[in-house]
Amino acid sequence: MPGTDFQGSFGRSLLSLRRDQVDLVAGSSSHHNHQHEPSNMEVELDSFQRQVAEKFIDLNASGELLSLEWIGKLLDSFLCCQEEFRAIVFNHRSQISKPPMDRLISDYFERSIKALDVCNAIRDGIEQIRQWQKLADIVISALDSHRPVGEGQLRRAKKALIDLAIGMLDEKDPSSSSGTNLAHRNRSFGRIRESHHHRSIGHFRSLSWSVSRSWSASKQLQALANNLATPRSNDVAASNGLAVPVYTMTSVLLFVMWALVAAIPCQDRGFLQVNFFVPRHFQWAAPVMSLHDKVVEESKRRDRKNCCGLLKEIDRIEKCSRLMNELIDSVHFPLSDDKEIEVKQRVGELVEVHEDLKNGLDPFEKKVREVFHRIVRSRTETLDSLC
Amino acid sequence: MAENGEEKLLAVARHIAKTLGHNESMADDILQIFSNFDGRFSREKLAEGQAGEDGSAGVAVLDRALNSIDGQISRFVAADQPIWADPADSAAFLDTIDELVGIIREWSPMASEKPIGVCLTRADDMMQQAMFRIEEEFRSLMERGAESFGLNPQGDASAMNHRFDSDEEDDYDRDFQNGDDIQIPVAQPLTDYDLIIDALPSATINDLHEMAKRMVGAGFGKACSHVYSACRREFLEESMSRLGLQKLSIEEVHKMPWQELEDEIDRWIKAANVALRILFPSERRLCDRVFFGFSSAADLSFMEVCRGSTIQLLNFADAIAIGSRSPERLFKVLDVFETMRDLMPEFESVFSDQFCLVLRNEAVTIWKRLGEAIRGIFMELENLIRRDPAKAAVPGGGLHPITRYVMNYLRAACRSRQTLEQVFEESNGVPCKDSTLLTVQMSWIMELLESNLEVKSKVYKDPALCSVFLMNNGRYIVQKVKDGDLGLLLGEDWIRKHNAKVRQYHMSYQRSSWNKMLGLLKVDNTVAGMNGLGKSMKDKLKQFNMQFDEICKTHSTWVVFDEQLREELKISLARLLLPAYGNFIGRFQNLGDIGKNADRYIKYGVEDIEARINELFKGTTAGRK
Repeated sequence: MPGTDFQGSFGRSLLSLRRDQVDLVAGSSSHHNHQHEPSNMEVELDSFQRQVAEKFIDLNASGELLSLEWIGKLLDSFLCCQEEFRAIVFNHRSQISKPPMDRLISDYFERSIKALDVCNAIRDGIEQIRQWQKLADIVISALDSHRPVGEGQLRRAKKALIDLAIGMLDEKDPSSSSGTNLAHRNRSFGRIRESHHHRSIGHFRSLSWSVSRSWSASKQLQALANNLATPRSNDVAASNGLAVPVYTMTSVLLFVMWALVAAIPCQDRGFLQVNFFVPRHFQWAAPVMSLHDKVVEESKRRDRKNCCGLLKEIDRIEKCSRLMNELIDSVHFPLSDDKEIEVKQRVGELVEVHEDLKNGLDPFEKKVREVFHRIVRSRTETLDSLC
Repeated sequence: MAENGEEKLLAVARHIAKTLGHNESMADDILQIFSNFDGRFSREKLAEGQAGEDGSAGVAVLDRALNSIDGQISRFVAADQPIWADPADSAAFLDTIDELVGIIREWSPMASEKPIGVCLTRADDMMQQAMFRIEEEFRSLMERGAESFGLNPQGDASAMNHRFDSDEEDDYDRDFQNGDDIQIPVAQPLTDYDLIIDALPSATINDLHEMAKRMVGAGFGKACSHVYSACRREFLEESMSRLGLQKLSIEEVHKMPWQELEDEIDRWIKAANVALRILFPSERRLCDRVFFGFSSAADLSFMEVCRGSTIQLLNFADAIAIGSRSPERLFKVLDVFETMRDLMPEFESVFSDQFCLVLRNEAVTIWKRLGEAIRGIFMELENLIRRDPAKAAVPGGGLHPITRYVMNYLRAACRSRQTLEQVFEESNGVPCKDSTLLTVQMSWIMELLESNLEVKSKVYKDPALCSVFLMNNGRYIVQKVKDGDLGLLLGEDWIRKHNAKVRQYHMSYQRSSWNKMLGLLKVDNTVAGMNGLGKSMKDKLKQFNMQFDEICKTHSTWVVFDEQLREELKISLARLLLPAYGNFIGRFQNLGDIGKNADRYIKYGVEDIEARINELFKGTTAGRK
């Protein structure tokens, strides 16, 4: 497991890294005499680095990676970092308007605007999951009764399962007809369908995105990551070290957005194309990169073509509904007791995920919205203070 | 049938006895009570059922009834034609379903008895099949409205509405291109928002309601709502795109050239009004009618229908609010702000239920954010004024472009005075008794402008020209303030003070360039001065002539843009200069020897001086008036 090696060495390297950090912050060896009593500002900036690192160490250790709960924690961590960052920017606002900070800060805010579009796309994605959740709900209400499972119930469940499977196909290529054909085959009923035109197709993917068809989450992430480089030492020196937290916050922003796109369905995810790398000498680099690698690994593990988001709950729904689909295809009436028990068992699993989503999605959506609002507010505040 | 009824009754009685009786004798007691109660419950009859297979007679009745219903349902479920194509069929189908519902309700209390339980499972299965079919029928009816049923006589309402529905389908592409086909309700002229569209014929709505009633009743409410909202959502999205509203990301909005964005904003305003005033209320009404009696299903479905379109609308407004703070955007951002403000009651009323609470809150948040954006734009304006560099001087001390820009900008802004007042009141400040926060804001901008102009005036080396510059710009500012809302905001006092300031600049102009000229024209009347008076006057006159030429040459290239101000200046100069000059040359001419040759030295008569003064401030080299 790639995560373990850093956790062992991290405690030890923390202090030495911090020292390096101070060095970096100070920007030149002429400041060596400061090393023993760092200025308030150095302490402040160093504490930010440490806090970011701690947040991500926690994220490595807590909860199931890529579960709704975990992503919620990721967003909480982002909000904390953002809050700290905001305070730093506010405390040093006099420097923000001077080069090189003016350039660095405006670069950060430009990237954060790009993140806003990601947040909106994620909100669409959450709605998409809700649609699946609704279909799962129909399956459940068809089969989760105390009476024995009948043919009608199975048919109804089957129909919802097919809709669900179609809905969960990755819509990478909107012109692809795989979903459409399947749709036609499975839901046509008699002549009504045949006389009908384009509109009938839409019901599986009836939920459309709030952005145009050409918008791409993967391109957005690439734009967010574009030319993101570690701060140059002369910038660090000229900004009294402020260039470092800006870089840190940008990296956190990028990572969080990348993880969201990885987990939640959105238009053209292809997220692995984004290069994300942080040099090891940042305190938070190891835990962030470790999470990054874990997510990448997870996506490789699940590189089935139709994966529409690495969110654990999506995986569970998908698996559950696939198994149930197969099960329903295999049964004959009257149902044997074994099969009946199996059906009930699958329904039980589906109920469980459904419950998790029901309880988790609303707070998660609120958090995504909160991230959006905080990014906007922080940008507005800084623009105001620059006036 | 009557017999069946009795069988059922007996079965129920037996069931009750069995359920309530904890032991044999108690059950027997209960049966005894029943038999005393009504002749139909004679012990013989009650015993009959018990003697045979447990409740077998009742089950037989149930079985028979189910068989009959099963036959009918199977016939309907297998039908190739839509059942709702024929009102008689659909009515029969609904009756059958109701009958099935009745039976299930009636027998459910006895489900624990195995044979009845088996029957009920079968009934449930039939119900599922019926619902399965009714869901398809519902979808099909939603999608097609009355379109394909026009051949069947379905009442006048559907015939009347038939045209609308078919047009909507077939002419979709053409309408999309022309965009103004009056048969499309959403494209009707938008003078009156007080109308509700009936997207579906009323007969269809009734049909849908009958179906929805059965589906909700049978526990298929979610499926029904799902189908319903998918169809209506699509309809709404089509309507929005017909209104010309594009789906844009925040970044796309920000990258759009301003002129294009202005058009987009205009389209947005129209679309937002149509959506909130016509489309959403129409959807609300449709929803309430289809799901009449099921308010929770209605609310949920309505939210599902409108959510996407609402978010699309709000996202655009949000993108505008987050966008550039460049001052020229103020007016369009004000438009968006005002649209949101005016639509707030609609947001409140149409999204009043619990499911829509989120949308309502979002709308308020984004509306507030637009207010912030407007305040941000004013901050940016302040910045631009404060940082506007004093580069090249305006030739002739004329009007500076920044003065013209800022004053006309503020005047235009003040046409939305009430909105701006609202925007500034909503910032955290508390207004004073006699001045609003907008007044404070405006006076602050004026102050910034004036101090920026003062810095700019330093570019002129000649202090007189510096005064002319400040006088010109000051005059322009006062004039622009006076005849508009800006004057009402800044108040009489402000105007008086600034008029006084202009007079001061006028005075300092005269002082700095004409006082020494006046000095030359002073005649020393002291005894000491009388010695060599002639020579000194001659010299002074020479100097005067030289300097006067010089000044006139220079000052005639200077600009005083305001005609009245120019006249005032000339008059006051003439009043200052002419008497002194007349006096001087009068004395000079009467000065004995020199006086005889005075004409040799006097270059200008008083009239000449006046004529020259009249030539001043024409800005000859500046080439502008």
